[in-house]
Amino acid sequence: MLDALRYEWTRLRTLRSTYWMAGSGLVASAAIPVVLGLGANDEPLHADAVNLSVNGGASFVIPFLAVFMAVVGIFATGHEYRHGTIQPTLTALPQRSRLILAKILTVTALTSVVTLASIAINAALVLVFWGEVPGLFDDPVRSALLGYVAHNVIYALVGLGLGLLFRGVPSALVVIFLMPLIVETLIVGLTMVPALAWLVPAVKFLPFTAGAELMLTSPANFGPAAPDFGFFDRWASGGVFALFAALIIGAAWILFKKRDA
Amino acid sequence: MIAAKGLHKRYGKTVAVDDLSFEVRPGVVTGFLGPNGSGKSTTMRLMLGLDHGEGEGETLFNGERFTSIRRPMNQVGTLLEAKSLHPTRSARNHLAMLASANGIADARIDRVLDMVGLGPAKRKMPKGYSLGMSQRLGLAQALLGDPHTLMLDEPTNGLDPHGIHWMRDLLKSLAAEGRTIFVSSHLLSEMQLMADELVVVGRGHMIFNGDVDQFVREFTTSTVVVRSPFADAFVSVLEAKGASITEGDDGELVVSDMEIDHVGHLAFTEGIELAELSRRSASLEEAFMSATGAAEQFVAEMPIQTAQTAQTPEGAQHA
Ligand SMILES: Nc1ncnc2c1ncn2[C@@H]1O[C@H](COP(=O)(O)OP(=O)(O)OP(=O)(O)O)[C@@H](O)[C@H]1O
Ligand SMILES: [Mg+2]
Repeated sequence: MLDALRYEWTRLRTLRSTYWMAGSGLVASAAIPVVLGLGANDEPLHADAVNLSVNGGASFVIPFLAVFMAVVGIFATGHEYRHGTIQPTLTALPQRSRLILAKILTVTALTSVVTLASIAINAALVLVFWGEVPGLFDDPVRSALLGYVAHNVIYALVGLGLGLLFRGVPSALVVIFLMPLIVETLIVGLTMVPALAWLVPAVKFLPFTAGAELMLTSPANFGPAAPDFGFFDRWASGGVFALFAALIIGAAWILFKKRDA
Repeated sequence: MIAAKGLHKRYGKTVAVDDLSFEVRPGVVTGFLGPNGSGKSTTMRLMLGLDHGEGEGETLFNGERFTSIRRPMNQVGTLLEAKSLHPTRSARNHLAMLASANGIADARIDRVLDMVGLGPAKRKMPKGYSLGMSQRLGLAQALLGDPHTLMLDEPTNGLDPHGIHWMRDLLKSLAAEGRTIFVSSHLLSEMQLMADELVVVGRGHMIFNGDVDQFVREFTTSTVVVRSPFADAFVSVLEAKGASITEGDDGELVVSDMEIDHVGHLAFTEGIELAELSRRSASLEEAFMSATGAAEQFVAEMPIQTAQTAQTPEGAQHA
């Protein structure tokens, strides 16, 4: 297993896109506290603002860092097929389950480290503009930031699972962008049509929507017309997202063991 | 030593590999021959557990399945398709990645890159590699763990003449060290110089498994070449004894269906002066053609006649 981890680590390290994706994620996330700091540094910081600044807008707009790390996850498996490297990989490391496990562990570790780095960078930026980061180590911000790390890891693992399931990069990218941004947003929007109100109880099971609950310091606001979706609490919602990731990875894993390389 | 048993693979309705069993001995080069699409690459992938076949087929490398070998690159080196490379990962990094899974030291990476002649290009990205360069990198990959067994699928593909020559010497010397070498190729003249043993397949079936000379003898008839100032007289003597004779391009007689000593004896007893009496043994290429002719799947058309050759009587004669 150590050999497999070394292999995966070298693979990640020698890929330019790893640096591009992590770097872009860090920069995009850091842009949020900078913009807020330039525009509103005279306003007092409440928990939501601290959370939003430190997680780079992940709980409000788009989880930039999570999306970039999901691309790293997709590349971890999808690139092997896109460039045919699965074949040298499996002749260097023919134990397929060990390979998948090593990919999961390295992507998890890298995503956690990059997310923690992003939190540190953003907290430092908040400190620069406001002179303080109130309540960073107290709830609700503390739990929301831990949730942010979990959210990004799960997001990246969904990418890894999709890349392995589709054995390629483009279709996995399409799903990871389309599903949260279009499909789930559409379903949430449709619940506001009275005739489709029966969709309301399903919303708390939408994986990416549920996953976003991990990062909140106050209930999500879907607009004035939105019904009460009755979300599970932070960690249970995270469990819904994690279960989704586990299903995708599980299916991909089973197929990977059976399929021709 | 490689022992493959009952390999089988089907893609939909096409049976790519049909119950192949063979052994590859150490100390010699074993050639793997067959027409396009006859299942050579698929066989190699099955042997390595890259593809999954049906049934009980399995391949043992010194008694172990490939997929259960720990750090397999130190035991079995492989070169399958060239260009299985990430376009922006340098040759050196590509090998470093594979080495990291097999406990291979960095010094060995530079060593094999120099061995295959990629030393100067090792920091370049494979997207700028020519076919021959990718192939050399593939070879470096196969040699990386200094393995006792090599499985190479068309390693000479894309190599220049020096490269092909080098490859032949390399494989022969590795075999002489007691390693097991299993190599597929379409370059039959190379194979004839290099291989001692053959596995020949056609449409997934075994056609021949044994040594090269035996293959050539089994699938060709060797002929006897005769030159004589009294050729015409000798032809009737030979034909009377049941030989079939054709005239060669240089006016020599090519005798088949008769052993060379018999031809010599007839010349002696009939008092016919001979200028040449020699045996012409067929090449591996001829044997391959006759052995696999029926198993060929992808048969090209004969060259299209141009308008000119079709019109002139001369051209017509040639055609
Ligand atoms: N992935 C695949 N899907 C469907 N059919 C395949 C696949 N791979 C190989 N085949 C079929 O299996 C047969 C054997 O192919 P294979 O590549 O093993 O032949 P080969 O002997 O290596 O040929 P070549 O000399 O051209 O390299 C062919 O009929 C081919 O069409
Ligand atoms: Mg082939």
